[in-house]
Amino acid sequence: MGDSKRHRILMVSDFFYPNFGGVENHIYLLSQCLLKLGHKVVVMTHAYGNRSGVRYMTGGLKVYYVPWKPFLLQNTLPTFYGTLPIIRTILIREQISLVHGHQAFSTLCHEALMHARTMGYKVVFTDHSLYGFADVGSIHMNKVLQFTLADVSQAICVSHTSKENTVLRSGLPPEKVYVIPNAVDTAMFKPAAERPSGNEIIIVVISRLVYRKGADLLVEVIPEVCRMYPNVRFIVGGDGPKRVRLEEMREKHSLQDRVEMLGAVPHAQVRSVLISGHIFLNSSLTEAFCIAILEAASCGLLTVSTRVGGVPEAYDMIVLAEPDPTDMVQAIKKAISILPMIDPQDMHNRMKKLYDWHDVAKRTEIVYDHALNCSNQSLLERLSRYLTCGAWAGKLFCLVMIIDFILWRLLQLWKPAEDIEVVPDIVLSHDEDRGISQDFQAFNEDNSLR
Amino acid sequence: MDNCIAENPSPTRAKWRKVAYGGMQPGFDDNHTDECFLEGMVMNANVVKRDMLKVMQDAISISQYLCIVVLVGLVWTYTLRSTLDESSLLYLDVSLLGSGFLVLLLTEEMLSLNLLLHYLVNVFFFTTGLFVLAPIYQTLTRSISSDTIWAVTVSLVILHLFLHDYSGSTVTAPGALKNPTLTSSISLNASVVASVFIASRLPSRLQVFAIMLFSLQVFLFAPLVTYCIKKYSFRLHLCFSFSLMAMTLAFVYTLHRLLFVLLLGLLVFVTVVCPYWLIRMQEYKFEINGPWDEAKLCFDITD
Repeated sequence: MGDSKRHRILMVSDFFYPNFGGVENHIYLLSQCLLKLGHKVVVMTHAYGNRSGVRYMTGGLKVYYVPWKPFLLQNTLPTFYGTLPIIRTILIREQISLVHGHQAFSTLCHEALMHARTMGYKVVFTDHSLYGFADVGSIHMNKVLQFTLADVSQAICVSHTSKENTVLRSGLPPEKVYVIPNAVDTAMFKPAAERPSGNEIIIVVISRLVYRKGADLLVEVIPEVCRMYPNVRFIVGGDGPKRVRLEEMREKHSLQDRVEMLGAVPHAQVRSVLISGHIFLNSSLTEAFCIAILEAASCGLLTVSTRVGGVPEAYDMIVLAEPDPTDMVQAIKKAISILPMIDPQDMHNRMKKLYDWHDVAKRTEIVYDHALNCSNQSLLERLSRYLTCGAWAGKLFCLVMIIDFILWRLLQLWKPAEDIEVVPDIVLSHDEDRGISQDFQAFNEDNSLR
Repeated sequence: MDNCIAENPSPTRAKWRKVAYGGMQPGFDDNHTDECFLEGMVMNANVVKRDMLKVMQDAISISQYLCIVVLVGLVWTYTLRSTLDESSLLYLDVSLLGSGFLVLLLTEEMLSLNLLLHYLVNVFFFTTGLFVLAPIYQTLTRSISSDTIWAVTVSLVILHLFLHDYSGSTVTAPGALKNPTLTSSISLNASVVASVFIASRLPSRLQVFAIMLFSLQVFLFAPLVTYCIKKYSFRLHLCFSFSLMAMTLAFVYTLHRLLFVLLLGLLVFVTVVCPYWLIRMQEYKFEINGPWDEAKLCFDITD
């Protein structure tokens, strides 16, 4: 699987291990698959507590935990130019050819992409979430995104709905946006050897219990379903501000023996919770691409979900419902009726064919090839792109980029590139037979060592 | 689930589908943009088309309230200059109270004798309370310089005007459905504090009582009275507003020329320029909705 063109990629995001989440898993698994394809991948993120400096993860993945503390919701303090020296050093040391930033909400990503463009590197940006247009936070975020994407080489979105959303928010031409979905680790999420027996039907819910994930819908739906079907039980995993409401609902309808609240479920135990059920319920109000549904389907559960965002595109065997309690109860009813016809092993095998991280890595490689073929542009040509961002914003963005350029030149005089030591390439000799499942097992062991 | 169908240039090329599973679709790149791109986008779905005349009529409520506040300011100025003495102030208070009640009686359909008695008892308690507490107001700000008092009063009145609820009234009849919002409560409190500051500058106790009663009457009940007039008959509301504006302009003219010009300019700005500006800005409105929106819950969350 050697490549004629070996890329040297720097992944930048505020969200990485030891945090767990969609973006974190995506970066890690994508990096592992790219390493397998023969590319060099380095990850840059901020320090997590005491975890600061350079660390190596499975497969020789080098992670720079830059000593900047997060200040708000896992984001580093945006200082515009403060990260320029360290990013320049990393880019020169590792001889990076391409910078790949993740998640629009990450300040480190925006800063890194800005500095990388100033220094002439090609950049790729992946957007993982959907945002609105109307509230104050979204308006500012969209302006920042417009700035970053004004001069990006290529962009990747995780679903077609996300592509539409990103194109509208940032004003990018649609041809520049590639749709490469996330995948699911089918080796880890295997169905149980035997289905949970008994005549009880167990519905599993695992999500953060916040407003965005539809915890309020759960509060309305669970009592109704329990009333209609005496043999249905619920298992609710996850924690959050809405947990109190769910506990209150449990008390009010006396469902203590029918609704089990597990609290926060560590990532390594998600599979064991999933295989104890028959149906998976997802009630989110907005979702760019729901990996939870794929994990549940890979474990052989039948999924019931709200029809929002990119959920209809993720899988065809989902029972969809409008985000309305009555509709969701109907959907659960339909799911219970078709449950006997579902074979968990069948669903798992199907999922193996439909989603694969290696496929995602190959498609991402194509995006990298296109990005590197983009023409080099001088500062003046790039400034004209920023001017289109708005009457006042365009000029402000140009000013920011000009100052960045000047600071970069000063840095070149102060610390010439020849003085920065280049890291030699270390090729780990790994078994060709070593499957990716062993990598993920190692990943899980890393988790438990936290 | 929508299945977008692409055109078939050749029989062997499969149709493009708007799905994420199954890897790269054969024959299509990952950045393929189909004709059904942005098909689900809905623009300006909830935008209401405004009519210039209607907006101007609504703006009259704002200028009417502005004039009421200016009249209160005038009474304050005359009292502080000792042009207006206690007895005339007290006559003014009683006449305002009487006319307010008359308007309420004539315009409110569901006013029963019980409710009226309830109102009268409340007003009696209110007045007695103010009379008893008047000595406290009189000595409240004795140690503070006059400049501070004028500055704070003016800022509080401006705050009151900015945050005031012009569509309804904060003090409502008992049994009203809408709760007052935070900003309308803040504006009411600002006006009350401004009245207290002005009252504390007066020399005699009776004057303090009279001016407090006048200010509180106007700030607490004028919105309710004007709201009842507007609800009853729109033409009456328009006549009332125009006569109020004329009266205010006349009084300010006799007081100070510059203030008259400023007030006239402000009234023209609020009644004519602002509606025109609003209608001009409406064409830039671009509201986007689509499948990426966060779903709205159709039920209320009751904790």
